[in-house]
Amino acid sequence: MKIKMKIIIIIVIVLFTSLVGFSQTTNTEYKKRVLETAEVDILTSFYSQDGDNAAVTGGIGTEKLTDIATNFTISIPLNDDDVFTVDATISAYTSASSSNLNPFDANGSSIIYYDNGKNESDKSSGNNGNPIAATSGASSTVVSNNTLSSGGASPWYESTGASKSDVWVNGTFNYSHSSDNRNTILDADASFAKEFDYTSIGVGGGVTKLFNEKNTEIGLKANVYLDNWSPVYPTEIHSYLTANQNLNNGFFSGVDILNQSGNIIDKNGTNVWSPINTTLVDNNARNTYSLSVSFFQILSKKTQVSLFFDLVQQNGWLSNPMQRVYFADRANYYIGNASSIPNYTSPTNTNVFQLADDIERLPNSRLKLPIGIRFNQYINEFVTLRTYYRYYYDDWGIQSSTAEIELPVKISEKFTLYPSYRYYTQTAADYFAPYEQHISTEKFYTSDYDLSKFNSNQIGVGFSYTDIFAKSHIWKLGLKSIDVKYNSYKRNTRFKAGIISAGFKFVMD
Amino acid sequence: MIKKIGLLLLIASLTTSCVAVKEYEKVYLNDPDMLLGAKKSNKFVTSFQVYREAASGANGGKSGGGCGCN
Repeated sequence: MKIKMKIIIIIVIVLFTSLVGFSQTTNTEYKKRVLETAEVDILTSFYSQDGDNAAVTGGIGTEKLTDIATNFTISIPLNDDDVFTVDATISAYTSASSSNLNPFDANGSSIIYYDNGKNESDKSSGNNGNPIAATSGASSTVVSNNTLSSGGASPWYESTGASKSDVWVNGTFNYSHSSDNRNTILDADASFAKEFDYTSIGVGGGVTKLFNEKNTEIGLKANVYLDNWSPVYPTEIHSYLTANQNLNNGFFSGVDILNQSGNIIDKNGTNVWSPINTTLVDNNARNTYSLSVSFFQILSKKTQVSLFFDLVQQNGWLSNPMQRVYFADRANYYIGNASSIPNYTSPTNTNVFQLADDIERLPNSRLKLPIGIRFNQYINEFVTLRTYYRYYYDDWGIQSSTAEIELPVKISEKFTLYPSYRYYTQTAADYFAPYEQHISTEKFYTSDYDLSKFNSNQIGVGFSYTDIFAKSHIWKLGLKSIDVKYNSYKRNTRFKAGIISAGFKFVMD
Repeated sequence: MIKKIGLLLLIASLTTSCVAVKEYEKVYLNDPDMLLGAKKSNKFVTSFQVYREAASGANGGKSGGGCGCN
């Protein structure tokens, strides 16, 4: 709360100072419009990733995910000084690891096949056959009855549960005002975002001051995001709690649970599976307060540099309630095929799933301090050098460095080639440990490999087409530029990703 | 960490030019490829990095909030 108050006080001071600056402006010279005409930007991308360390399944399992996203940005000049911008994004993904929030769904990993060639989904349409097998991925397991204990859930295969896919939508509205001499810019924004288990509302404001014949620029921006979880949990934990912690009720009724040896346990005995905590998310809020300072400096006719510093404080439920954790000092229990238990951590496991010990638990506060510097050099009429370095620190024990270089090469008047390279490295969070390496006495724990120690290399290539006269038209919109870029991303683990994006910029006639 | 931040501030202060570049001399600096902030066309690349890496921010763009990511 103290930080929140400080941020609010800073915003008020900055805005007041800026307004005083405006009242003292008496420049009556001709002023150029901040934005000559309305602009429309359309950006679309396709992203794909894969890896072996899914956080939803406790640090092992497929990370296969695809995402298609599109963004529209419309900037409208309201008058000489004011610009209103609407930014809308829709992003649709399918995720194998998220699908395993409920790996036991009857129509996915545990499809029951019948001897008449039909499967479980055909039951309501006159399926009179006898069950013969349950499958998961490429394999099948002979079963004797239509129960989950016969099913083939696995962290290595995608389920077809509701969490398999989702759509994230985001809208941001921004209003900016420039002073008559264009040396002061005020802006305010409001944003909204929604996905199936998460909602966000954000507001922000900033001021930018230009000095030294517009050779120096200092910006200050503050944002507050008031986010909210609608938590969803691993199905076995949620079901256990809704069944009043009775393994003979609800989801678990009629389902066999196996121990590490593959033997069916006595659910009424003393050695039975249970999650370590019966309290899940007790605070749905997740708030982010950020203060950003930027500094731009022209060094020469061909060189400029910028410096960025953010102070970010997050409070609330900062762990992801979907992500499982398995403890080394607790017995392991499974649902599925007993003979696959010895191969549980191998992608060859297609039909057994380990019941979680808990969801990940992380502190309810996180302070993040990134600082970045960008240095751009216009080398000649063909080549420009763009470089970026960021150092990051947070109080969860993570430090990271990011270095990036891009070398735009103008191959003709209208076409530019963009080769780029990015190197990233980070230390592990204090609370990270791989699958089955946490101890149940720890207060905080996660097996999310995004918080592990790793480094990554990203190579990109793209091109842009620019027509400053925007001669090509669609309706009243003149095409000003096209940007196409592909980036390949690889960690020093088996995680890899690729993203291709295409952007189109139009100006209104 | 304080040393690293201090070093970056020192670099920034040392690089401050004494002679201002006039508006009519900024033809190279106004080239779109000389943009000092985050490129609009990199929005989704930055977005996946924010999801997949622990670090974020300090690139002239959004620094947190709005998603269940870091």
